[in-house]
Order: sequence, then C-alpha cells, then structure tokens
Amino acid sequence: MKKSQTVTKAMEAVSAAKMRKAQQTALRGRAYARAAASVLSRVSGAEEHPLMQSRPVAKAIYVVITSDKGLAGGLNSSVLRAAHAHMTERGLTPQSVEVVALGKKAEDYFGKRGFSISKAANAADLAERFAAGEADAVFVAYQNFVSTFEQRPTVRQMFPLTTQELVRVVEDIVPARGLFAQTDTVSAPASYTIEPGESEVLDVLLPRLAQIILHHALLESQASEHSARMVAMKSASDKAGEKQEELTLSFNKARQAAITREVSEIIGGMEAIA
Amino acid sequence: MHVVIAKVDEVLFEGEAYSLTVPGAEGEMTVLGHHEPLITTLKPGEARVHLVAGDAPKVFSIEGGVLEVRSDGATVIL
Repeated sequence: MKKSQTVTKAMEAVSAAKMRKAQQTALRGRAYARAAASVLSRVSGAEEHPLMQSRPVAKAIYVVITSDKGLAGGLNSSVLRAAHAHMTERGLTPQSVEVVALGKKAEDYFGKRGFSISKAANAADLAERFAAGEADAVFVAYQNFVSTFEQRPTVRQMFPLTTQELVRVVEDIVPARGLFAQTDTVSAPASYTIEPGESEVLDVLLPRLAQIILHHALLESQASEHSARMVAMKSASDKAGEKQEELTLSFNKARQAAITREVSEIIGGMEAIA
Repeated sequence: MHVVIAKVDEVLFEGEAYSLTVPGAEGEMTVLGHHEPLITTLKPGEARVHLVAGDAPKVFSIEGGVLEVRSDGATVIL
C-alpha cells in the first residue's frame, strides 16, 4: 500500500511539472494567433476563399485528440462521447465519417464502432482534402483546458474556416482562471494597406490559421491530460493514505488481539498447573 | 516599436526594436515606428531587426509568411 502511494505521488509530481510546461507552450502561440486573427478580420473577401466555403455536410473528417495512456480520470471518455454525440447530431454515420485518431484511446473507441481510422493529420493535408471536396467539413474534438481542475470536451470546426471560430480560438488560448489568466482582446486598426492583394494574403494566411487551430487543440489536450492525471493521482494518493491508516489500525488491533490471547493462554496454563 | 516574429509553435523574437526589414511582396521594405497600418505577404529571404539605429541586426531566415504593421508595432507570422 505504501508502495502504490509512492507511485501515485510520483506521477502526481511529474504531471504537475508537465502541465506547467504545456501551459507555457500554449501561451507562446498567443501573439501569433492574435496577429493572424486581426489580419483576417480586416481582409475583406475572405468569405469567397475556397477554404471558407461552407456546403451541406455529407462527408466529414473528425480529428479526435485523446491521450495514449489512461489513469487520467474521465478525460478521454468525455472527449470521445462529445465527438460521437456531435456526429450523431449531424446525422453522420460511420460510413460517412473518417476519424483521424490522435491517441490510442480514440483509435480503440472509433475502431470498435466501425469508423475508418487514420492516424496522422497535418493542417495542410486537411486543407487540401477539404478544398478537393473529399470532405465537406473538418472538425477537431479535444479537451479544452479551462483551469487545473476544470477541462471541457470541445468540438471545433476547422474547415470551412470561419472568422468567429478563429476569434474564439484566440480567446481560448488564454485560460479563464489561474496563473496564466490574462485578458487580451482581438483588435485591429480600421484600415490597412494590403499588398499585393487580398486573395494573395488569404492564400498565405488561411492555411496558417488552420494550423493554429490544430496546434492549439493539441496543446490544450496535453495540458488537460497532465492536469487531469495530476488531479486523479492526487486523489489516488490521498485515498492510499487513508487506506493505509485504516490498514495500520486493523493490523495493530489484530496484533493486540493475538498478544492478549497468548497472554491469557499462558496465564490459564499457569493456573491449571498451580 | 514592439516587434514579434513568430511561428505557430515558437516565438523567434519579441521585444522593442528600432526597425524591421523584411522581403515584402513588392520588394524589400523597412518598417520604423509609427508606420501606417499595412498587411503584406512575405517572400523567402531574411528578416532583420535593429534594436537601436546602426547596431548589428538580428537576422532570421524566413520562407514566406505575412507581415502585419500597426501604429504601435509589427508582427511577422511565418
């Protein structure tokens, strides 16, 4: 019992350190995302860009991000449930969905339910496949990091890109509470000179924005995984501590009972002889 | 002026600078403080940042991207 407590304690400490690192990495992307979103909000004609065309969704790609390992509370199952519910809401069947499973748990879950699975995704490929009509929408399901004790399963639309969605992602990059909380609004000058032209800027910018969404989702999931594991391990350590006290108590009681019995046997024997 | 040069997963430079020189779509250009708002695509080449006028610049090689200039600073997204 003491041993398992040592293990959970160690996992708790490791997760705490990893979580802090993941949070810091996530924040580094903020300047980038803010600039990209403010540029986008000032470039008109974005709606006509092929990556922003929405159409009825018959085929979709879901990028589902989970962890490879368990021991992180209900983290993975809530993401999987959210992604699955999102598909059901849109009337998508396993035949019309391709799941890009980042993480073993997603692979297991959707593999078992008859979805076609692929294991690697990059934003540029997804953009190409969307533009080519292989999929009518691309979604990303991940665990959003709100604070150390609160993570929320989130499903985001990656393609078609929308301005609101991007602004939301940028705002999400800063956690609502805790050490790294900060308010940062997306603002921009009223007018820009644009060179060489709006469509050229969009061609460069939109794939990068898609990359931000994916990258950010990965970081959020990581931070969430580590903090969920930290919390899970903390309660496991506490529970182990409690259990250990209980066990020590019953061990001592049992030992005491054995001693008492022996003593009374000896006394009984002496009396019989006397 | 506040200059940020960033990739998706990494900030290459962030801080106060005197000037920023980048290979813009219409040729190489230098941005000083209080420049008019501008958005331009970038060609492959070098971005140079001078912290003060006349010092040895910090050089970053880039493979294209977007430059956003606001009255208070400039951001390069690679």
